[in-house]
Amino acid sequence: MAGTIRAQYPISIRPILVPCAGRVGSELVMRTIGRGADGVLIVG
Amino acid sequence: MLEANRHPNITIMSLAEIKEITGYIGNFEVKVQKNPRYVYEETCTGCGQCTDVCPIYIPNYFDENFSARKCIDIAFAQAVPAIYDLDKEWCVECYACVDSCDVHCIDLSQEPEIVELEVGTIIIATGWDLYQGDEYGYGKYENVVTQIQLERILSPNGPTLGHLKRPSDGKRPKNILFINCVGSRNEEHPWCSNVCCLLSVKNSKLIKSEYPDANIVVSYIDMRCAGKMYEEYYKRSREAGIMYINGKVGKLIEDPKTKNLVASMESIGTGGIVEFEADLVVLSSASLPSAGTDEIAQVLKLEKSPSGFLKEFHPRLDPIETKSPGIYICGSCQGQKAIDATVNHARGAAQAASIPMNKGEFVIELIRADPIDERCAKCYMCIETCPYSAISVNEAGQIEVDLISCRGCGMCAATCPSIAIELRYYRDYQFNAVIDSLFEA
Repeated sequence: MAGTIRAQYPISIRPILVPCAGRVGSELVMRTIGRGADGVLIVG
Repeated sequence: MLEANRHPNITIMSLAEIKEITGYIGNFEVKVQKNPRYVYEETCTGCGQCTDVCPIYIPNYFDENFSARKCIDIAFAQAVPAIYDLDKEWCVECYACVDSCDVHCIDLSQEPEIVELEVGTIIIATGWDLYQGDEYGYGKYENVVTQIQLERILSPNGPTLGHLKRPSDGKRPKNILFINCVGSRNEEHPWCSNVCCLLSVKNSKLIKSEYPDANIVVSYIDMRCAGKMYEEYYKRSREAGIMYINGKVGKLIEDPKTKNLVASMESIGTGGIVEFEADLVVLSSASLPSAGTDEIAQVLKLEKSPSGFLKEFHPRLDPIETKSPGIYICGSCQGQKAIDATVNHARGAAQAASIPMNKGEFVIELIRADPIDERCAKCYMCIETCPYSAISVNEAGQIEVDLISCRGCGMCAATCPSIAIELRYYRDYQFNAVIDSLFEA
């Protein structure tokens, strides 16, 4: 979405493609935070 | 309607209800309950002898109960199929109709029968119902009618043969007030009913052209006349002398002697309170999802929008398909529509349904849920989570995914506590690898 509207976003953001926001469970979020992410934004 | 009935490939089953649907696109199995009409469709010639001898008069539903019909009668003059039906609720079982029928097609002992059909695709077109709330004394004051009732009064084959007469005394009303947005665009029904502004324009203009001395006021919040030629139509109706007042009627009181109605409304355009004594008040009531929409949604496992109308796959990009492949919706069951939009929607649905039917095959993506039985703890949380009802338990107690109903959203994979159901190409270890490599650097 940020790409289609040509919005600038910091290079420290790491996008992970999912088929649907419903696929994102607590395990994925916890693993991401456990690996050092400051936060997880689920965008649908 | 008549043309559809004559078409060799179209079968119309009237007085029928859908009881159960199983299967998937290309292989739906439908159980239809045909409710008894107590008249054999195959042999009834439509001669009408039964109606002549029937002693019972009942309210005519088609004429909004403004006129009477016989207990055994044709639903309305243009009904398709043109076969008589008997209303068992009112019937006194005098058997006069049975005796009068030359072809012996009346049978008062008919029972509902279940018909099983195998179909490839399904199009739902269940329409809408009119809001029947008691705003502005509807149901209490005789001369407060809805737009649909006015349509029947103005209809040449209606209860007054097209002559404008008010219900209380049969006199021609001279001062007529139309009130728009009754029961809609409020907290309870926040949507706009889409067609009523133009219905007010049309009916007021019709009355004005027939009776130029009629004094017509339309009270509105916004006149929504979007669409080709509609704004011009509205403008012409203003030029014809119909008064449009921007403001909602705050108070409507009936004079008990004359049965006239005194309305007070605030006119936003000119400021101040306007009082108007009307002989007839016409309400543009809200359109609601039709009464059986809940049952249809339940039987077909479809979702509903917050308004209660059936939910489309995407409100702008795909308003015809539903989340279940092979089931399409058209017309006002998706949301209130004018005639042109309904025709477009119906044609679109017919086209959309004919594509997989003609192709003979339906291609699905491989991104589908994949159950792994060894890890499954049989908690069945995935079955509850699945928005498409694609997951079931087979005879051996194992989880089974219907690959055609599954849309690959992955909600089951996110819910499963033991990673026993996964989404192909989006498996947990694949995500883990992505996450790990992103944070390695």
